[in-house]
Amino acid sequence: MLKFIIALTLLSAAFFVQSKQLSINVLTQQNMQVGNVVVYLTPKNPQVSPVANKIEIMDQVNTQFLPHILAIQKDTQVRFPNSDSIKHHVYSFSKAKTFELQLYKELQADPLLFSNIGAVELGCNIHDWMLGYIFVVDTPYFGQTDSHGKVTLEVPEGEYQLDVWHPRIQDKLSALSRQVISPTESDIQVILASPLLPDVNQYEEISGEFSDYE
Amino acid sequence: MNKALKCQLALHFKTLRLLFLCLLVMSGKGFAAEVKGLVQLNYVKASEESSWFDEGTGILAYSEDSANVQQALLTLSDNFANGVSYEVVANYYQLGEQNLGISQAQLSYKPLSNSKLRWRARVGFFYPKLSLENVDTGWLSPFTYTQSAVNSWVGEELRTAGLEVTLYSPGRTRNSPISWEFHGSLFKANDPLGTVISWRGFAMHDRQSLNNDRVPFAAYPSVIQEDRIFHPNYVEPYHELDGNIGFYLGTHIEYYKQSTLRYYFYDNQADPLEVSHERLYAWRTKFHSLALQHKFNGNTRVLGQWLSGSSVMGDRFVYIDFDAWYVMLSHKYKTHRISLRFDKFKVREDDIFPWDPNNSDGHGVTLAWRNDLDKNWQIGVEQHINQNSADIRATLGENIQVDQHQSLAVLQYRW
Repeated sequence: MLKFIIALTLLSAAFFVQSKQLSINVLTQQNMQVGNVVVYLTPKNPQVSPVANKIEIMDQVNTQFLPHILAIQKDTQVRFPNSDSIKHHVYSFSKAKTFELQLYKELQADPLLFSNIGAVELGCNIHDWMLGYIFVVDTPYFGQTDSHGKVTLEVPEGEYQLDVWHPRIQDKLSALSRQVISPTESDIQVILASPLLPDVNQYEEISGEFSDYE
Repeated sequence: MNKALKCQLALHFKTLRLLFLCLLVMSGKGFAAEVKGLVQLNYVKASEESSWFDEGTGILAYSEDSANVQQALLTLSDNFANGVSYEVVANYYQLGEQNLGISQAQLSYKPLSNSKLRWRARVGFFYPKLSLENVDTGWLSPFTYTQSAVNSWVGEELRTAGLEVTLYSPGRTRNSPISWEFHGSLFKANDPLGTVISWRGFAMHDRQSLNNDRVPFAAYPSVIQEDRIFHPNYVEPYHELDGNIGFYLGTHIEYYKQSTLRYYFYDNQADPLEVSHERLYAWRTKFHSLALQHKFNGNTRVLGQWLSGSSVMGDRFVYIDFDAWYVMLSHKYKTHRISLRFDKFKVREDDIFPWDPNNSDGHGVTLAWRNDLDKNWQIGVEQHINQNSADIRATLGENIQVDQHQSLAVLQYRW
């Protein structure tokens, strides 16, 4: 019943507070569009926004993490299935979440709760080339740029702090952070001052195929 | 199918069933270890030359047209949270002296680390990771059934009982396309390594020797006669005879997961004057191995390996220099994989006994097609031809030079 009342309250609030679209573009100095960047808008006056009871997925496919970067809201649970026919041993040493999980080929591990914000770097102790990220944000307004470096977010009118994150960005993240007022601003460009770290995503293109060492 | 063959196959299946039942019990609930298995049944159209398994001088595994259990293996493994893992590979072979046994058993320690420079170690009975061909479960080749001359020899005579320590740096942790590994190992046993290629020469097959195995070969008079070298016409490759510790060093360099180079130097440090009560010698065997692989894309790859070394036994009773290499092209199209390999191998002697001729050489071509019907079943066919010569055949009154060919149809089940 309580859940129903909360949902109804949120729906009514959403009805009265009109959402506006905010389009954000992430570019380098050379005007190169940067894809897969996590973009998030934190309201200046946050309202209680309970996390939907949703479980996100960080899969292991062809000895790679899929997706490479998963953005989630704080207090979201993430399940780590294993779509490969071999086992994995996933771990993180990151402050935001330190853990290790043995992923047998046909056993489901319980989902993990991510309740601290920040980047969680994932590795596999069996397949050293595997690298993935979970980025935990404390706002419901977030997304990831597409291959054109663009993301569109729906946010209610108000004042926000805009932040971006990607493992290849070398700029100080606080220097890229800015204040945004919706709907006054609707098209925002984030230009990176420093060049990106080398692109090593070719690790994703061809990976190990056979079960023994390769 | 004749009655004798039916009886033989029934017996093999009975043994297999027993082995699998044991492991199924172990893999039940409450036992988290992972059990993987693979069985290959074949029909072979064999060459006319008898195989060394039948004490012949041919360099292919089968002596006559027949249906066989080509491979049957189970791997038992588990990883623990503290970075410790183990793996045991148990095999059943229809061919050879020891039919049931262990081909690999190792305990590994790989601490969890996010450092750019990491280490790991393993102890047990295992292969140095010098082959890029034997990358399927249980050190099998996913490309051809009849393996390269280089790795057929490694599979039948080389295994180290020792400790290997690895220092490595995964490129992705350094934002670099280059990953590297450096391996160093100290080991015991493997003293008779080199025996079989000195007398029989290189061969091409997929029969790995098991823990206490004995590799037979033809009863060459210069080898077995008491007034000659006086050595049995077999070798038990994993004996420790002199107490010396052998070593190998290896390095792997990888560009993304696309191009790989592996270089190893192996030296068993054996004392060639040491001889056992059954008259097996310690052979001082050293070699360099260089393996390369390049994947053009996810489906097409070229790989090759070159092995070059020497072996000596007794007071230079036998001394050989050996060289072998292969190059292979493999293409995957949907569920199909086609692989074509060319092998060349040569053994040259420089020893004191002219009546024990050890020169041998040859080349071969192997073409295989394998098709995954689903995740468990696979069918495949293979055609192999080779031309080889071994001077020692003359001591048995045989032609030195022989052309051999072998056709295989294989049904594989894995789980």
